[in-house]
Amino acid sequence: MAISLEELTGGITKVTLDGRLDIDGALAVDNEMNAIAGSRKAVLVDLQAVSYLGSMGLRSLVAPARMLKSRGGKMVLFGPNEFVDKVLKASGINTMIPVHYEMQSALAALE
Amino acid sequence: MSLHGKPETQDRLILDSRLSEIVRVAEWVEVLAGRHCMSVNIQLSINLCLEETLANVIRHGYADEPGHSITVGFDVTGPAFYLFTVEDHAPLFNPLEAPEKTALHPDRDFRIGGQGIRFLRRFADLLEYDATPAGNRMRMGFRDAETAAIAK
Repeated sequence: MAISLEELTGGITKVTLDGRLDIDGALAVDNEMNAIAGSRKAVLVDLQAVSYLGSMGLRSLVAPARMLKSRGGKMVLFGPNEFVDKVLKASGINTMIPVHYEMQSALAALE
Repeated sequence: MSLHGKPETQDRLILDSRLSEIVRVAEWVEVLAGRHCMSVNIQLSINLCLEETLANVIRHGYADEPGHSITVGFDVTGPAFYLFTVEDHAPLFNPLEAPEKTALHPDRDFRIGGQGIRFLRRFADLLEYDATPAGNRMRMGFRDAETAAIAK
């Protein structure tokens, strides 16, 4: 699992995850995700290149989202594939962290 | 199903009770998927259900103690129907009888635990539990509708 950051206009940080968000993938990104959540206010997590999401991976999304929320910030998820989307919905995480399928709406949600 | 009505084991993976072992499952499933022309979606569903089941056996059944074996068996029991059997020697526990925790909800705390059984029920087509003389046996079946449709 690879993670990369891009600072967009409007103070939005785009975090791109690439690979499997399984047990190993979660371990690979947890520290950086938490660091981002502790230092940014508006985070867009791009899931387009995430091929798999398990419950350990969900923790890697929920924990930083919770931290951001406690600091008055926001997180949105963008572009899950069919399988990842099904996992997000089955867990209910989509009711807590907004999921967007169009980049424009994802960015608008963070403005 | 075999001629005798019982699935005959075609493949088997034995893991040690360490979370780090679970990565071997994805590699093994990938080999099986290639051999049986499984669709990508069913492969991912299998990965998810096995990952959840094995993580629970390791964390709760074996209390994160390494040195215990977990056996994962694979059988093809019908056209595009794949059966995975997870067997352990942990204290008896039937996850299918455990109450399914509610899905995450925006009005409640951000709690992620307890999603395993929810995933099993959503992503597997068959779930069966048996207590064995040695421990627990969990069977999970997956029907690959995409592959079955192509085969028609």
